[in-house]
Amino acid sequence: MTKIISLFILEAVFCFTFFTVSYSDINLIQTTCKKTPFYDLCVLTLKSDPRSSTADVSGLARIVADSVKAKAIATLNQISALLNSVKDPTLEKALEGCIVSYNTIIQADIPVAIDAIEKNNPKFAVQSATDAGNEAQACENSFAEKPSNSPIFSGNKAVHDLSVVLQSIASLLL
Amino acid sequence: MADINPLLPVSSSDGSSNLTGQATCRRPIKVVVSIFFGLLTVGLFAALLIRNNGPVDYVDVHENERGSLASTAFEKAENLKPVSRGPAAGVSEKSNWAFGGDLPDYPWNNSMLSWQRTAFHFQPEKNWMNDPNGPLFYKGWYHFFYQYNPNAPVWGDIVWGHAVSKDLIHWLHLPLAMVADQWYDKNGVWTGSATILHDGKIVMLYTGSTTEGVQVQNLAYPADQYDPLLVHWVKYPRNPVLVPPPGIGPNDFRDPTTAWLTSEGKWRITIGSKINKTGIALVYDTKDFINYEMLDGLLHAVPGTGMWECVDFFPVSETENNGLETSINGHGIKHVVKASLDDDRHDYYAIGTYNDRNGTWIPDRPNIDVGIGLRYDYGIYYAAKTFYDQNKKRRVLWGWIGESDSEAADVKKGWASVQSIPRTILFDKKTGTHLLQWPVEEIDSLRLKGKEFNQVRIQAGSVVPLDIDSATQLDIIAEFKIDSDALDKATGSSDASFDCVTSGGAAERGALGPFGLLVLADERLSEQTPVYFYMTKGSDGNLKTFFCSDQSQSSKASDVDKHIYGSLVPVLRGENLSIRILVDHSIIESFGQGGRTVITSRVYPTKAIHGAAKVFLFNNATELNVTASLKTWQMNSAFIQPYPNL
Repeated sequence: MTKIISLFILEAVFCFTFFTVSYSDINLIQTTCKKTPFYDLCVLTLKSDPRSSTADVSGLARIVADSVKAKAIATLNQISALLNSVKDPTLEKALEGCIVSYNTIIQADIPVAIDAIEKNNPKFAVQSATDAGNEAQACENSFAEKPSNSPIFSGNKAVHDLSVVLQSIASLLL
Repeated sequence: MADINPLLPVSSSDGSSNLTGQATCRRPIKVVVSIFFGLLTVGLFAALLIRNNGPVDYVDVHENERGSLASTAFEKAENLKPVSRGPAAGVSEKSNWAFGGDLPDYPWNNSMLSWQRTAFHFQPEKNWMNDPNGPLFYKGWYHFFYQYNPNAPVWGDIVWGHAVSKDLIHWLHLPLAMVADQWYDKNGVWTGSATILHDGKIVMLYTGSTTEGVQVQNLAYPADQYDPLLVHWVKYPRNPVLVPPPGIGPNDFRDPTTAWLTSEGKWRITIGSKINKTGIALVYDTKDFINYEMLDGLLHAVPGTGMWECVDFFPVSETENNGLETSINGHGIKHVVKASLDDDRHDYYAIGTYNDRNGTWIPDRPNIDVGIGLRYDYGIYYAAKTFYDQNKKRRVLWGWIGESDSEAADVKKGWASVQSIPRTILFDKKTGTHLLQWPVEEIDSLRLKGKEFNQVRIQAGSVVPLDIDSATQLDIIAEFKIDSDALDKATGSSDASFDCVTSGGAAERGALGPFGLLVLADERLSEQTPVYFYMTKGSDGNLKTFFCSDQSQSSKASDVDKHIYGSLVPVLRGENLSIRILVDHSIIESFGQGGRTVITSRVYPTKAIHGAAKVFLFNNATELNVTASLKTWQMNSAFIQPYPNL
């Protein structure tokens, strides 16, 4: 009888721990993302990275930073491809300006943000994330054809919005 | 009676059971329990599977989000507020742009960018700088150390830069004082302060970020006390001397202060931290800077203010016009507690009373306590630190001024950040509530050609150009006289909501303001930075004066910060309104009412540069005429350069 009872208690403890652990990491993603203005984007980005299941808030910030960088590299490649075949000088100028913006995001903003998160000095991550969002915005604004979107609108929007998410999550670390 | 259950033992008539009976009675329970366990296990595996698949519905929602992106404008990020407390406008100097909407990035050319470099503010030859560290005066030299990235114009790889000066203005760069060469500061040689001991020796306490990212306090001292330049520094071999105490997070323990003597003859320091969202200052006593005892109580704490960085603690005299050595205490002395709030990137101070016996401090006015009241500076200004200058018996304040342009521009121009001109700090005897900051007198030695303008009348709604030659390196001292009749006649309003930050800037016309100066303005006023007063009259007849600096029209470029800074400034009966402005290319330091309210801003014009920059007086009030008298001086460069032949 005692054997059964102890077995029962053991299993109950195991279940309890398992469920709290398995739901708590989902919970952390949800509670963290609720504090950003792009909840769905935030959750999708985090959940598609396996590191998120064991990450703390600092780790979640790192995942978002990596995602901004990945999206920025993809957008930069898009811009370069467009530059290869561009004929319109106004468009060419805008694209060249965007190269500068995206190089800043990839070589300055994101490395500083990651460094600041790792070294536990989050205000510099907040600052860099803000700048990354501003750079993407500036790139989008440099295209002449209003009110329609630029040829790299989805890239600019993704990088901008994710930068804002990064800014929000890094603010939680202050 | 028939045996209804042949499996069950025949129970004895008195209800008692024996051991054998128990075993057979439990069998159905065993079955039930086993089935229960089985179901539980199945349930667990099911949960495990579901968890790993992830919910499918998120993809659908994301697609909806994409589908609804019709307009070009991104969701305005200026609606974004940090979760932690902070004022409505801008968290950091790199805040989400106020006018990010419609204008493209500005094509900065080398002429515009190279013009931005300052002529007489401290900055290294290139790359990134932040907090001032360990300022001191020793053997005839002022020493200045600073957080520095030797490798890039962005934060990172932080080490201690070093420079010396005879007069706090003409600086000579020296080699790096300390680099990240130990396990206990591998991730950053961060901010610290100097203490000069009884025998004149110097000890430096600074925060190191260890290889594990833990914040610890380390001791360092000059390698050669006879070297007046203090070029080489030695780290105490058994660092760290302090590690985060129980209950304090490993990332919430940094920026040790200069030490002061207690009445027991021990040295005492304070270190900022936080517990949840309450900003606190921890207190430690030491005799040798190696062994410390933490006091049970805190120097002070203020809920909701978040992490306290760069805490500073110092005495001010209520009666004398000189600074006080950090250990001074007694009658006619108040103590200032200052903290840099991580949450909103602003420096706050409060004046109060220190109790040496238990190492605590209470503010004179709890409603304007540390972090919720007065700021050193209402513009771009952070991580400030004072030191006692025993040479001239004054307390001198340093402050880090970051950039408010884009990082792309910083990378292009190859540098970021300057320091403010060092300021003397005094208790404002007239108000009793404020500190006064004023540029150190040595700055006057940079004045070249001066020009005086007396009693210039500025009608309501007018702009008056000032005929001075160059307007990018200037010292301006101006006084404004207002018609007291106009003040009396003005109708009071019950709308008490004016705030520089949320106002329409210098373009918003009020009955009694704005009026002041336009600096870094081009002839056509297509670019201008107004520094001005704005007065309001309450329904009770009480006048309030605000001192503001408006960056909204400062540049045609869209990738620079365009916020408006400023605050209430106390004006006492009989006082004229006064402004001092130091213009030095891309930095403007503005002092209202003798330094009662100070605003530092970074400005990046594209047209109002070099010879095209001008200065104007302006009065955009509707019911007030103003008379201004002012002196302007061209300012020489300070020729900040490496120490020769070192």
